[in-house]
Amino acid sequence: MMRILVIGGVAAGTKAAAKLRRELPSSVITVVTSDRHVSYAGCGLPYFIGGIIKEERELVVKAPRLFKEENGIEILTLHQAVRIEPEAKKVEVIDLEKQVHKVFDYDLLVISTGASPFVPRMEGIDLDGIQVLRTIDDAREIRDRVDQNAARQALVVGGGFIGLEVAENLVHRGIPTTLVEFQPQILPGYDLEMALIAENHLVEKGLRLIKNRKVVAFEGDPLGKVQNAKLDGGEVLAADLAVWATGVRPNVELARSCGIVIGPTGAIQVDERMETNIPGIFAVGDCAENQHLLLDRPVWFPMGSTANKAGRIVGINASGGSKRMPGLLGTNIVKLFDLNAARTGLSTREALEAGFDIETVLVPANDKAHYYPGYRNVNTKLIADRKTHRVLGGQIIGEGVVDKPIDILVTAISFGATVEDLTTLDLAYAPPFSMAMSSLITAANVLENKLTGKVQGILPTELFERMEGGEDFQIVDLRSEPEFIIGTIEGALHIPLTELSSRIGELDPARETVLLCKYGKRSYLGARELTHAGFEKVEILEGGLLLYPYETV
Amino acid sequence: MEIRVNAKGLQCPGPLLQLSNAVKSAQAGDRVLIEVSDFGFKKDIDKWCKKTGNTLISLDEKDSILSAVVEVVRKA
Repeated sequence: MMRILVIGGVAAGTKAAAKLRRELPSSVITVVTSDRHVSYAGCGLPYFIGGIIKEERELVVKAPRLFKEENGIEILTLHQAVRIEPEAKKVEVIDLEKQVHKVFDYDLLVISTGASPFVPRMEGIDLDGIQVLRTIDDAREIRDRVDQNAARQALVVGGGFIGLEVAENLVHRGIPTTLVEFQPQILPGYDLEMALIAENHLVEKGLRLIKNRKVVAFEGDPLGKVQNAKLDGGEVLAADLAVWATGVRPNVELARSCGIVIGPTGAIQVDERMETNIPGIFAVGDCAENQHLLLDRPVWFPMGSTANKAGRIVGINASGGSKRMPGLLGTNIVKLFDLNAARTGLSTREALEAGFDIETVLVPANDKAHYYPGYRNVNTKLIADRKTHRVLGGQIIGEGVVDKPIDILVTAISFGATVEDLTTLDLAYAPPFSMAMSSLITAANVLENKLTGKVQGILPTELFERMEGGEDFQIVDLRSEPEFIIGTIEGALHIPLTELSSRIGELDPARETVLLCKYGKRSYLGARELTHAGFEKVEILEGGLLLYPYETV
Repeated sequence: MEIRVNAKGLQCPGPLLQLSNAVKSAQAGDRVLIEVSDFGFKKDIDKWCKKTGNTLISLDEKDSILSAVVEVVRKA
């Protein structure tokens, strides 16, 4: 009888075990995990802290007892695998409750040891009140402090998804919260101007955000409870709860120590079938690498969605099938208060680093017909290869629906679509669901105009940096008087679009000219006019004043 | 006097232009009640009132429609 051992029991491990059971009904399947819980929704933990998910049990997909009863899978919690012997096909496991060693024989081994939060050693890091968030027990610990009013000032370290979601939920619970990010932007993998939209929204919602700063030490009270954090700039932040969320690292030591090859990303190297270099040993989930669909190299994207899909593929391949995992695009999505953000494929920086010559576009639009109540703004960034016009990546951020357009984009990129392909997609349309020209199609149209030289654009981040650098621009605000009153870019000349042709003499055709309006449409019309009139360099401010993330006057 | 403006279905800059025109034609002390479906208006109206010196009395959201009441202090 085939004996299958699975190490790790959150998403990938339990998915692989469940699929193996269906493929190999007569096998003996055992899952060992050092955790107290199995098969839980790790991604739901921030919302448990926020109280949006009321009880722990709501997070659990399936209890160990049910795995036994319904699937015939033996799950051993609080069982830590400590050694793999590939020649003998044995795994040594410690029963953490009884403190006894057990040895399991296997014919097939699935490693899904996951990832762990990375916390650097520093002064005061072990003080009471400093938490990571990875397991249900972690979430319980943080939630209890909040419930017992033991958290009056919170600090979140790290502006990635977990950090941001935890921060949102702490603010939601009414706790004054500061988020410290070491990088110049939050939301890694998003372009700066997109991250700035999110940053402004978070600050509006009451989060205090400190960027370009590292937490270097913590100080506690005589009872050993955290009181404040010290930053590398010398600042001191008071906090009686600190959540450390600067990312996770794959748990690979068990695999490494038995001769399994670790890839360049630091995660376990696997082939397209998710099998390691040792035949019969598969690796899946947050501990394993994947291929990038657009880049000829392995990547490590620890995502619950990947873990589930790859878990199923391991189940098929480990039972003799042959199913490939072609690759990933680094797709992700996050809700931050009223804002939704999603990305897929290559960011501007990633595309440039990979050697692509790119053109990009940033276009505001709505998620539904403008006359249908309830529509909201969504802003689309697209990145394409200048030569082939192939779409390489995209980011969508706004209060409106972003999951639909990002998934369309994922599909398009997966099948090698060009910008022109996007512009003519036969997408579903009725007023409650979309605009007649959907936000994605509109963005693709503007990108096509840029690729064919009909219009040139400048991003708010580039304009701002070059102005700070003292470069000369002729900035023209084309909006109407009441709009101009509410604020514009410092130094901008006000000429409403309707007056542009009669007042064109006020402008110098030799200067670099940036046109701005609220969304970009009037700028586009103005740019056509000025270019036709012989102006040397005319650019529209991409995203308009709507997405200009800096101060206006 | 209360002036009611239906700016539903209008996108930027429509609602702000309608408000500006209504305030222009009103007397000090009058109130303009404007209904808008463009949520970008939320931030605009707040800034516009501050800059023009008119008073934003209320800004409510119901069934995806924004209703704002502006008391006219001076002409826009």
